[in-house]
Amino acid sequence: MRPIERGGGVPEPLAPSDLGRARSGLAVVREVEPVGPGCVELVLDCAGVARAARPGEFCQLRVAEGPVPLLRRPFSVCRTDPAAGTVTVHVGVVGAGTRRLAAAQLGDRIGVLGPLGRGFTVPSGPGTLLMVAGGLGAAPFPLLAAAGHARGAKLVWLNGAATAARLYPVERLGAPVEAHVATEDGSRGRRGRVTDLLPALLGECDRIAACGPNPMLAAVARTVAARAPGLPLEVSLEAPMGCGIGTCLGCALPVVGAPALALLCRAGPVLPAVAVDWGRLGTLPPAHAA
Amino acid sequence: MVTPAPAGRAGPTLSVAIGRGLVLPNPIGVASGTFGYGFELGALCPVERLGAIFTKGTTLRPRPGNPPPRVAETTAGMLNAIGLQNPGVEVVRERYAPSWRSWPVPVIVNVAGADLEEYARVAGRLDGVPGIGGIELNISCPNVAGGLDFGLDPAQAASCVARVRAATTLPLIVKLSPGAADIAEVARAVADAGADAVSAINTVVGMKVSLALRRPVLAGSGTGGLSGPAIKPVALAAVARVRAAVAIPVIGIGGIADAADALEFFVAGADAVQVGTQTFVEPDAALRVLDGCRAYAGEAGLARLTDLRWSPGGPASGRGPGGG
Repeated sequence: MRPIERGGGVPEPLAPSDLGRARSGLAVVREVEPVGPGCVELVLDCAGVARAARPGEFCQLRVAEGPVPLLRRPFSVCRTDPAAGTVTVHVGVVGAGTRRLAAAQLGDRIGVLGPLGRGFTVPSGPGTLLMVAGGLGAAPFPLLAAAGHARGAKLVWLNGAATAARLYPVERLGAPVEAHVATEDGSRGRRGRVTDLLPALLGECDRIAACGPNPMLAAVARTVAARAPGLPLEVSLEAPMGCGIGTCLGCALPVVGAPALALLCRAGPVLPAVAVDWGRLGTLPPAHAA
Repeated sequence: MVTPAPAGRAGPTLSVAIGRGLVLPNPIGVASGTFGYGFELGALCPVERLGAIFTKGTTLRPRPGNPPPRVAETTAGMLNAIGLQNPGVEVVRERYAPSWRSWPVPVIVNVAGADLEEYARVAGRLDGVPGIGGIELNISCPNVAGGLDFGLDPAQAASCVARVRAATTLPLIVKLSPGAADIAEVARAVADAGADAVSAINTVVGMKVSLALRRPVLAGSGTGGLSGPAIKPVALAAVARVRAAVAIPVIGIGGIADAADALEFFVAGADAVQVGTQTFVEPDAALRVLDGCRAYAGEAGLARLTDLRWSPGGPASGRGPGGG
C-alpha cells in the first residue's frame, strides 16, 4: 500500500501542533499524592509521554470506561521521569470528572492520550524566567522549571492562591527558585493577588510564563503590555474542550487577526499573550462554568 | 443437493455498494464533524482501514464558525454548536482532494448551505474532482442561524436533493434529521428525488443550562446538537423506520461507541454505520468497531453484517455470540 500523503491540513491562524508524538494507551496509577485541599498529583506509568512531553503540553485523561462522564479531561503535564517512565498530573477538583480522577487508587488504569498541544518556550540559556501561577495554574511549572534549570536559567516563582493551604508547595517544583507569594486572605506572603507581585519583578526578567484562570492571565497581560511592552509573555489558557486533538473544533478561542478564532488544543494551550484577543476572551464564561 | 459451505469460513463480505460506483471497502465510516478532512489525527487513527471518511460540513465560502462556548458535556453525550467552521469548498478541491486520490478509503464530502443555490454550487464545484468519492448532503444543520432547515419537511428536502442531483454526478447520500415529524416520509421523498443512499441521524437539538450562570452553557441561542451514546435509541428507531420506507442503502449514525452498538444498527436495518463522537474519546474508535464487527461476524458465521437484519413481524432469530 502506498504511503498516505497527509500534506495540507486545515488552515488555522496559528500553526497547529503536530500529533506525531501523541499516543493513546492505559496507564497504571503508581502514586497518589495529596497536594492541598481538593488537589492530588497522580503519578502514572506512561513511558511514551514521559519521554516525549515538553513543558506546557497536556494529556487527555479518560475519566470512566463507560459513557458517563463521556469526554476526556485535559491536564498539563506536571512532571516527568523518563528513566522511571512516569508522568505526573495535578488534578484539582472542579467538577464530577475531576472528582472521580482525584479519587483514583493505586493500581487503577487510566486512559491517557498525549502529549498534546503546544507548550512553553524553554529558555535557551542563562537569563531569568519568571513563572506566574494562580491556583491550579501551578500544574505545568515543575516540568518547565526542570527544563529551565537544566539550561542554566534563573527561575523566579510567583505563586498566588485564595489562602495559604491552596498555595502550590514550592519544594514540589523540584528546582531552585526565588519564590514570591501572595494570598487573597493574607495568610501567607503578601495580601492580594499574584498579579500585585508582578510590577516589581518585570525589570529583572527576560521572559514570563503564566498559567491560571483566564482573568488572572488577562491581568498579567495588561500589566506587561503597560509596563514592559516587548517582554515575551506566554500564557497557558483554558477553554471547554471536547476532544483535545483538533477534530471537534470545540475549544475555539478569540485571537488577534483573521479568522479571529484558534483551536486551543492545537494552537495552544500555551499562546503568546500578544496573540490573544483579551477583550473578547473576557466576555466568555469561565471554562468550568458548565 | 449441494450443501453450501458454512458462511463466514472465508470471512464475511464487508464491502458495501452505495450506488453510482461508490463501494465502501467496509461498512464502518467516521462521521462528519468528528474527523476533520482526514488529515488531522495522523497515526492516532490510520485512515487506510476505514470504510469511509465523511468530512466536516463544507460550504461555498470559508466560515469561521460560532463564537465560544461551542461544546458542552451532557449525560452520556455532548452538545456542539460549532457553526459549520470550515475552509470552504475551494480549499477542499485544491488542497485536500489531491491527497485523497491516493487513499484507499473513499472520502465523502459533507455539503452544507444556507439556501438551495449554495447547496447546488458546492455540489457543482465538487463534481468531477478526482479524489472525491461522493457527497453527503447535510440538509439540516441545527447550529447555523438563518439557514433553512430543509431536512424537516419532505417536500423541502426533496427540492434540495433535486437541485443537488442536477448539479453533480457524484454518489449522493442524504443525511436525515431526527427533528422531522416523520423521518420515514423524508427518506422516501429524498430517495424519489435521486438520493443514492441516506444516513441517519444527524444530531438532536438540545440545550444545557448553567444554573450558576442562569443561562444556557452554549453561546448564541444556547441550543446545540446532541450526540453520543445518549442518542443511540433515537438513532436506532430512526434507522428501523427509514429501512422500512426505502430500498436504497441506509447508513446508521448515533451513539456508536463499540462493536456491539454498531451491530445493533445492522439489526435495525443499516447497511453501513458511522462512528462519530466516540472518536473524540478514542481516536481509533472506528477501527476498534471494525475489528469487533469482523470478529462477531466470523464467530456467528455471517456472510455479511446485513444478515443480522431484523424483519418486523418475522420469526425471532437465535442469539449470536455474546448475545443476551
